[in-house]
Formats: sequence, C-alpha cells, structure tokens
Amino acid sequence: MTTFKDPFDARYRLNSRGCSCGQHGSEAEHVQAQASEDARTTRVVEGAVMRALFPHDATRRAFLSAVGAGTAFAAVNALFPLASATEAFAQAAKPEKTDLKVGFIPITCATPIIMAKPMGFYEKQGLNVEVVKTAGWAVIRDKAINKEYDAAHMLSPMPLAISMGVGSNPIPWTMPAVENVNGQAITLAVKHKDKRDPKDWKGMKFAVPFDYSMHNYLLRYYLAEAGIDPDRDVQIRAVPPPEMVANLRADNIDGFLAPDPVNQRAVYDGVGFIHILSKEIWDGHPCCAFSASKQFVTEMPGTYQALLKAIIEATAFAQKAENRKEIAAAIAPTNYLNQPQTVVEQVLTGTYADGLGGVKKDPNRIAFDPFPWESFAVWILTQMKRWGQIKGDVDYAKVANDVFLATDAKRLMAEAGLMPPETTTKTFSVMGKPFDPTKPDEYVASFAIKRS
Amino acid sequence: MASSLSLRAGLLSVLIFAAFVGAWQWATLPGAGPGGGAVDPEYAALVSGAAAQGAKSAFPTPADVAATLWGHLKDPFYVRGANDQGVGIQLAYSLGRVLVGYLLAAAVAIPLGFLIGMSPLTYKALDPFIQILKPISPLAWMPLALYTIKDSGVSAIFVIFICSLWPMLINTAFGVASVRKEWLNVAATLEVGAFRKAFLVILPAAAPTIMTGMRISIGIAWLVIVAAEMLVGGTGIGYFVWNEWNNLSIGNIITAILLIGLVGMALDLALARAARLVAYRE
Amino acid sequence: MTDKPLISIEALARRYPKRGGGETTVFEDLWLPIQKGEFVCLIGHSGCGKTTILNVLAGLDQPSSGSVIVDGREISGPSLDRAVIFQGHSLLPWMTVLGNIALAVSSRRPEWSRETVRAHCQRYVDLVHLSGSEHKKPAELSGGMKQRVGIARALAIEPKMLLMDEPFSALDALTRGSLQEEARRICRETGQTVFMITHDIDEAMLLADRIVLMTNGPQAKIAEIVENPLPRDRLAASMHRHADYYPLRNHLLEFLVTRSKSFASEIEGRPYDPRKPAVVRPRATAEDPLPAAASI
Repeated sequence: MTTFKDPFDARYRLNSRGCSCGQHGSEAEHVQAQASEDARTTRVVEGAVMRALFPHDATRRAFLSAVGAGTAFAAVNALFPLASATEAFAQAAKPEKTDLKVGFIPITCATPIIMAKPMGFYEKQGLNVEVVKTAGWAVIRDKAINKEYDAAHMLSPMPLAISMGVGSNPIPWTMPAVENVNGQAITLAVKHKDKRDPKDWKGMKFAVPFDYSMHNYLLRYYLAEAGIDPDRDVQIRAVPPPEMVANLRADNIDGFLAPDPVNQRAVYDGVGFIHILSKEIWDGHPCCAFSASKQFVTEMPGTYQALLKAIIEATAFAQKAENRKEIAAAIAPTNYLNQPQTVVEQVLTGTYADGLGGVKKDPNRIAFDPFPWESFAVWILTQMKRWGQIKGDVDYAKVANDVFLATDAKRLMAEAGLMPPETTTKTFSVMGKPFDPTKPDEYVASFAIKRS
Repeated sequence: MASSLSLRAGLLSVLIFAAFVGAWQWATLPGAGPGGGAVDPEYAALVSGAAAQGAKSAFPTPADVAATLWGHLKDPFYVRGANDQGVGIQLAYSLGRVLVGYLLAAAVAIPLGFLIGMSPLTYKALDPFIQILKPISPLAWMPLALYTIKDSGVSAIFVIFICSLWPMLINTAFGVASVRKEWLNVAATLEVGAFRKAFLVILPAAAPTIMTGMRISIGIAWLVIVAAEMLVGGTGIGYFVWNEWNNLSIGNIITAILLIGLVGMALDLALARAARLVAYRE
Repeated sequence: MTDKPLISIEALARRYPKRGGGETTVFEDLWLPIQKGEFVCLIGHSGCGKTTILNVLAGLDQPSSGSVIVDGREISGPSLDRAVIFQGHSLLPWMTVLGNIALAVSSRRPEWSRETVRAHCQRYVDLVHLSGSEHKKPAELSGGMKQRVGIARALAIEPKMLLMDEPFSALDALTRGSLQEEARRICRETGQTVFMITHDIDEAMLLADRIVLMTNGPQAKIAEIVENPLPRDRLAASMHRHADYYPLRNHLLEFLVTRSKSFASEIEGRPYDPRKPAVVRPRATAEDPLPAAASI
C-alpha cells in the first residue's frame, strides 16, 4: 500500500474550486506549475520508452554506463521519436468524446468504476459516463471488443488473455489500472464447516467466476499447495457470480472462490461461511481491472486520460477507510450492485459476519490500489502457463509491459497527487513462496503440480 | 348447461388457486428453526433474519410476493438510472425486441416458405439445411451473433429472428406444399394468373397452417427473449430477472415470472384471434 | 354429325414406367370425336384411365403420346374454353358462393367491372336455384348445393365445352336424381357440349346422347359407342317406361359386367380399327346397328 502513504496532496481537494486542471490550489499556482509539468511529461515519456526498451533495470543501467547517457539518448531517439511521443502526451488534454459507456459486473471489485458515477468523479473530468451492468465476463469481453463499451471492468487476467488471443481473437488490449487488491474469499457450504483443511476437499465441486480470473489461479494455487490437483482431485467450473449463491444453496457446488459481495451474500443468506479471505493466500493480489482496447487508448488519448484519471481518483477515494460506508450506500442500490446495503458495507469496512456465528474485523479485506504492477501480469502469465492455458514460450516481460500500462498509471497517479512507486515491478510472495518477476520460467518449473 | 359448466370450471380454478396459495403459505411459514437461541446480537445485525437463526434465508410468502407485485404495478415506468428501470419499461423493451425480430422473421419466412412450398425441388434441396438448423437452441446462436454482429441489442433481435424463423418457414412451406390438388386444379382450369393464384388460392388455403406456425413462433420468441436478455443483460424483463437473481430476490423474480406468463398469454391470444380470422371449414 | 368435330381425341395413349423396368400401358390409340352440342358419356371400370382422359382434355394432365385437337388446334394446357366440374365439389372453402363463381368469371373477363361480374354471377346462381345462399360459405351448404355451385361456376365462364368427372357420385340418390335432371335441362337450354365420366348406367342413359364404352385396363380401349335411342325429352321419372329402356340398359349392363373384361377375346381374329369402333343403337325392335362409318 505504498502508493497511499500520503494519499492526498495537502493542496488537493476532491471538489476543488481551485485551478482549471484541479491539481493546484489556485490558478496562479497552476500557471506556475505549467513549466515544470512540461518537463515532467518529457521525463515520464523518456522513462517509459527506456523502460520499454530495457525492461530490466540492470540491463538499462549497464547500457547507460557503457555508452553514456547522451549517446544512449541519441540511439534511443533514432529508434523512437521521443519528441513526438512527448507531444502526444502533452496535447492530450481535452477529451475527444465525452459520452461514454463503461461496462461493469455487479461485484465490489468494480467499486471505483461504479462509485465514480454517483459520486461525480467522471463528471469532474468533464465526462458523461453511463455505467452499464453486464451479465457475465464473456459478455463484457464481447461487448468491449465490439465497441459497445468504451472501457470496461474486467478480471485482470482478461486483458492479457485478449491480447494474446486466448479464448478470443487476439486484439491489442490494455489495462491502465487495477481496481482492487484482495477482496475475494473462499466460501464453503455450511455443511462443510468442519472441513477446514483443504487436504479434505478431494471430490468437492468449486466455482470460480471465469477461467481467466485471479479467482481461478488463486484457488488452484491454494489447492495445489495443499497437495490437491485442481484438475484431477476436484471439479472447478466457471459460474457467473450471481448464480453462485443459488448453486451453493442448491448443493450443486461445495464452495467457491468468488468476488465479493457474493461471499458475504452467502453468509447473509445463511448458506455458506467464509473459509479464508483471498488476502490470506496472497496479501495484495490484484483482482479486477479497468481496461480498454489499445485502439481506444491511441485514438482518443484525451478521453482515455480523463477517464483513467477519474478512475484513479475514485480508487484513491475508495482506499480511505473513512469513506467506505458512504461508498457502500452509493453502490448498493438496484441500479448498481443490487444488494442489501449491510452486505456491501461488511465487505468494504472489513467488519463482517463469517457465517459461523463470529464477527471478524479486517480493514484490509479489500483495498484499492490502481497501480498495475507489471510483475502482477508476469505472475498471472506464469499461472496461465502453469495450468496450460497458454502453450509454448511466453515473452513474459513484453506482454506484461504491453498490456499493463504501468507508466500511464504512474504519471496520472502523480498528477492526481498520489505517490506512485518508483518502479513498475516488484517481488512478492504467495503463500510464503517468493516470486521473482525476472525469473518466470524457473518459477513455473518449481511447482510440483502443473500442466506444462 | 354450458354456463353452469363454465361457472363450475371457474369455481374449480379459484379453488385450485386457493389451494396453491394455501400450500405456499404453509410451506413458507416461519418455522421454529433449529433454535440456535442465543446468537450474538452483533452477528445477527450483519445477516438476514433467517441466517441469524442458523437457517437458510426463507422463501417469500404469498403476501410478500403480492406486496412486491403491487409495488411494481403501482409504478411500472420509473427510471432510476440505466440499470434500474420500472418493470413496465423492461417489458416494453422485451416486447419491442420480440416484435422486431418476429416481424423480420415473418417477412423472411413467409415469402421464402412460399417459394419452397411451391417448388418440390427447393423443398427437397433445402430440407436438410432446415432440419439441421431447426433443432438448434436459439441461445446457441448468441455467441456467434455477438461475435459477428458486434452489437448485443441486434444480437438479441437476431436470436429472436432465428428462433421465430423455423416454425413459420416450415409451416408456410408445408401449408403451401399441401394445398389440395383440386383447388390448384380449379385455379389451373380457370386460368388464374400466377399472382392471383398465390394470393387468392394458395395463401388463403395455407393461411391456417401459416398462422399455426406464427403462433408457435411467437411463443418460442417470448420464451427465448427472457433467456437472451438474461445472457446479454442491459434492459428487458430477462435482465430484470437476472438482476433480481443477482440479489436473490425471489419475490421480484416471482413477480417477473407472473408478468412474463401474462404477456405470453396475451401474445398467444392475439395470434389465436388472428388465426380465427383466416380459418375456414371445409 | 358430319361437321368438323369440336373436339377430337387422336391416338391418345398413357403409359407408366413399371417398377423394375418396362412400361404399363393404361390405354393407347384412343380416338374419339365430339360434336358441338353433343353430350358424351364415358363409361368404364375404375383403372381404365377414364379420369386420366378427362384430365388430359382439361389440360391438367399430359398424355404419353397422341393429342387432343380443339377447334383445329392442339391443346397445350388448361383453358377457360373447357370448364371442369370436379368429382368433389372443389369449391374454395374460404370464399362465399358468389366469391367462388366470381373468381372464375373475373378470370374469364378481366376487363369486367366488379358490378358486371357480380350481376353475371348472380344470373348463374339463380340458374342453379341457389338464390339466397350467395353469401354462404361452402361449409354451410349441403352436398347437392355445393355441386350446384360447381355447376354454376363452370357454366358462368361460358365455356365451349364442359368436362364432368363423376360429378354426382358423392351425392345421395334423391339429390343426385334432381341434380341430374337439372343438369340435363341446363345443358339442353344452353346447347352446351359436354364430356362426362361416370360408372352409373342410369345417369349415362338419362344424360348422354352417345355413351362410350371402355374396356378394363391395362391396355384399355374403346369397345364400342352406344347411341342413346331414348327420346331427347326423356325424364328420369318416366324414362324406364320407354320400350328402348331395357334393351339399352341391358346392353350397357352386359358390357360392364362381362364384355369389358372379355372384349380382347371378342375381337380376336376380327379386324378392330381403334379409329372406328363399332357403333350400336340398342332398340326394342330388332334393328341392325348403324354402320360404323356414319358416326364419323
């Protein structure tokens, strides 16, 4: 959660009556900042290009020290017209199109996308966004691909899958922002309340929202760590989140790893209990994403930036614990999540009924952090590879860099007064096992249970 | 005698309804539950009433459903954002889709069926295609439609189109092909022109069969639109059902089911009326 | 009888391919001239191809070989010149009595206005005594009434020739009798040329001027042509009292019962000219049959 050590600049106000761009306390400050902003844009673009060319810091440093910064700049400039790229970024100030449609699935992961509508974050960027509830992941993918939606809420593996043509035609797709981290849980039917050890789960039937979802990878990871082969010892099927509780109630499934509010809803209706939160598998894992086609990003840079800015600001707002109740009230009605407000509130505040009679408190049950770490993409790709969803050699770093637009997010986070991380990759560990994004192949090979 | 029969039938209907509602009421009576007894009040505040008792949440009682139904009927045309509109508006969306897809299908199926029925050659040649395409669940076309048409609204209409097409096409072709030989002979000996023959002899002769096809089609179209809208979402009564399923709101779902049934019945009655207009006794 | 005939059936044949190769000949080398104003009945057992002959005359069926000449021209299909009264009534059930007749009339006279067509139809409705039922649908009519509509429809187009395919066979005896009488009256009043198929001897005796006898199929042929010796003003009720009634009836009956089967052996060794079948005129007093040539 490093991004939000200082979430709001002191001068920055959400409903700013300050300057025209909303970043400065007054118009005077805005003008003053203009010059330095230009310089920063140039730096950001240069940095992005350098990172694109040298995904690994070590390589870049080696290159720079070997040829000297000046030579390097000239060489890079010959390959990539930095000046025009910088210009493109700077010019993209005014949205080309203001009436937009953004699709969402009614789960709490979509909180920033949804709340930005009733709480005025889109409006503040001069956008008139209609947020459209959508029936399932395949439909949201198809509607996004068909340009019915300008941008859409997706599961973070989906942009990678779309870009690579896994499960659909390859279409260059981007994921400029993560929406939430954590916020999922494994829920089991109440009748399994004594089977808390996954080793006892052989023969059970589980549901995940989609094949290309963090839910699928996390559940598989969790099961495999307990020695359960997710393809042979249990059944995992894709079930749309709204149908999960009904299926659990009807005993069609024994449990699921699902996004909230589905887990909390199962508890609310007395059909299931929360076995573990997904943060107990990997604290800080990404889940859902804000995504758009590469075409949208390149053809409407102004709109794209305004939209992304609204999302990032909404995400920042959502991250603050004191705002969570207000958000729950805004997104619970029929028009959005269509859930009892208490269910949404329990998810967002982290003070929740566990389904076994206890009340638990975990303020980090769900967190909001827009930064699309490229190493997240690499980890997802290793799992796609591990479970045989992608075959052959994968250029992990390139795909991650193409799809997870960390650079843009970073710049816009800075503009929003947030503290973006210095780098776009980081190491983390999943269930205690460290992951090094520079060594994806070794990581895949290190698992005992895998399909590749 | 006839009036007493319908009176008795009406009475029986009321009785069956009362028995059904009674059984429903009895089945949904709040039971004593497992009687968990002392539940942490903090916990109870976070879950539904039934769950607080250690039970699964209950099915709504007839009164609950009646209240929900009344709530919807009182204000059927409200708009509270793109994803929350009155049930009347949703029904209108669904009806609109059904009618557009259905009329398009009729515009294609009836002339085409006519040609197929008139020519034994095309009848035979197209038969295998029709036989293969006919049994495909219309919803199976949905991914293909979304992929090729690239518009979910049009895709839903396409699915209605495709599912209404076959009964009308097959019945038209069959009706036209089985116009009695003697009527055609009459037309032939009277040297009735091709155009007049089509409209004055074949069409009226085949009309009852065509109408049967149209009636089957509208029934299927109405069945399919609900499923299609559940799949695609956005608007329509199918979306309404899906959205309330999302919220596990059984009362709303039962309300929607009732309304779907009523509209389906109205559509069927309308076509039955139309069928009576073209029926003839030999 | 020596004028050029209105219709001339010439060398007509009908063959079907047999299963497993070869052909079945239903009839072949059929010759028959019909004069204007003449009422000709064709009698034969089922299977001798009589309906096929009628359908060929109507233009609804094609012969395997041979031709039908009408007014010096070979026919090529159905024509309003040859109206057909079908075995079933063949009315279009969704149209009224008037509508059924009007469909025919407006086909015949496309240039006529609605009113003219209507008035014309009404005349024929009156002619067949259906006044008052103009606006009824066929389903509301009795069998006899339906057949009257069929007759009115056929006559309303004022054809050169009327073709009737066992038109009264589906009716009960009483209705049949009165309708036959009426048909005879109308045909005589209008001088209509009629070719009718039947297997009812009494019907043929009442209506026909000439009765064509066909042998059984396959390879059916015209055995002979019987000229009706009964007076032209005969009535169904009194016809049987005429002296020539039983000789004629017996002759026809004998043919249907035995000779239609054995005709092939009858002509064995004797010359048989399909173009000039024997012409007989059964009378109470012994008389020689007329020379065959006289009928041509």
